[in-house]
Amino acid sequence: MTTSNSAPKKLFWTVPVIALLAIAAAVIINWAETSRAQMPALGEVPRFSLTERNGKPVTKDDLTGHLTVVDFIFTTCRGICPTMTANMSELYQLYKSSDKVHFLSISVDPDRDSLEVLLRYANDHGVTDNRWLFARGALVDVAYLMEKGFMLSAEDLPGGHPSQFILVDNKAQIRGYYTNEDPSGLDALKTQIRELARAMP
Amino acid sequence: MKAFRNFAFVSTVTSYLLIFTGGLVRVSGAGLGCPDWPKCFGRWLPPLGVSQLPTDVDPSTFNFALAWIEYLNRLFGMLLGLLVVVTAILAIIHYRRVLRILLPTLIAALCVAFAGWQGGKVVTSHLEPLSVSFHLIVALAVVTLLTYVTQQAYYLDKGMMAHSGSADRTHVWIALLWLVTIIQILLGTHVRASLEKLAITFPLDNDLALIAKSGGAKYIHTVFGIFTAIMTFQVAHQVLRLGGRALPLMRVAVWSVMSLMVVQLLLGTGLLVIGIPPLLQVFHLWVAALLIGTILYLYSAVRVEVQSS
Repeated sequence: MTTSNSAPKKLFWTVPVIALLAIAAAVIINWAETSRAQMPALGEVPRFSLTERNGKPVTKDDLTGHLTVVDFIFTTCRGICPTMTANMSELYQLYKSSDKVHFLSISVDPDRDSLEVLLRYANDHGVTDNRWLFARGALVDVAYLMEKGFMLSAEDLPGGHPSQFILVDNKAQIRGYYTNEDPSGLDALKTQIRELARAMP
Repeated sequence: MKAFRNFAFVSTVTSYLLIFTGGLVRVSGAGLGCPDWPKCFGRWLPPLGVSQLPTDVDPSTFNFALAWIEYLNRLFGMLLGLLVVVTAILAIIHYRRVLRILLPTLIAALCVAFAGWQGGKVVTSHLEPLSVSFHLIVALAVVTLLTYVTQQAYYLDKGMMAHSGSADRTHVWIALLWLVTIIQILLGTHVRASLEKLAITFPLDNDLALIAKSGGAKYIHTVFGIFTAIMTFQVAHQVLRLGGRALPLMRVAVWSVMSLMVVQLLLGTGLLVIGIPPLLQVFHLWVAALLIGTILYLYSAVRVEVQSS
């Protein structure tokens, strides 16, 4: 019965081959995971003070302890803002079962966006809790925060406001900018939120 | 024709490696590493850094590792494409009257071309789960066809033929086992798709939480997997009983099928218990692909080596 003994033996060469494949696969998977987790901190959000729709102050402290998606909008904008707010609503609904992801929309048109207007705007978009804050402040303060804090152009406000979402981590550090012009930005944002949320305590 | 056999064999091995790299792309989340197709960020070679990105591309969407992992799969795809074209040409030259070799080879070549094109659709669909599953199914068709022609060419060149008049029905059971394994793979892709859909609704959940939330698909896949394993050992027992007449190649096939099934059971259990670590997931998929190829191999081996002798 030499054949029956040699048959299993013929399979032994597969062991080193599979071991090699497994090692290569483990290295590649690890490479992918570390590459995704590597999102350099692009800067820290400076101290600021704005007012939320409920009249309470919003400061840098409101950006710590959880991830925050920040954008700059104004309620009467007919350009990119409806898309931005629709995308933000999608994310707000998506992460409703978690307290790890918050949202902050800052008005770039404080003359028209009073607290009452912001409150109504929030209600119109189904925002019922404080996971999504709507803030206003003096235009000069908002422009300063945009330029010095978020490194975005603050020219031609309100119409020329930036259209990206900004991802801020639980230590108030900026981790990325995501376009609202096409779905790829939102996809990248969701992926990076997941990576950062996993690494959070 | 030795040249044909060699090319068919190398194509078969390459197609298995391609399925492995495809699995790697999936589990490492590199499916959109190159957001365009057939080029990657508008280039034939993926960018080496942000400086090489086209000006209209948002740099935050570029990840060096993911782009190159996705590109690895495309490279293997292109390599397989070249290999099957040569194999098909050799088949046309040397086996144009042997339809059982010519036809599967030509269909395999068409399938590879189709899989390449459909891979582009997977990217543009943003990894829609059904599209991803279909991509795998086409790849499984390719390995099946290539395994078959490689073995048939070997038997033909050695002057060995299947004997249609054999009273033994073992090969029918092997064919059934092959079909059951295919169904089990489809159930597996359904489990994966359902977990992916859940991950969209619960983006921050880990795998174990998603498995807990997923419905009946995982139970059906588990129960059917146990059934497939039992059937495998029953069929293997039947083949080994043909024993005295069995040739070494067929014994290798039987032992391979049994070993792969044991490994697959362990991997499947591991996935349910530990929570889908990517490495186990790649191998679970890959061993499934190896299984259907090996079962098919066993089928032809029994037909030719045992039943005709």
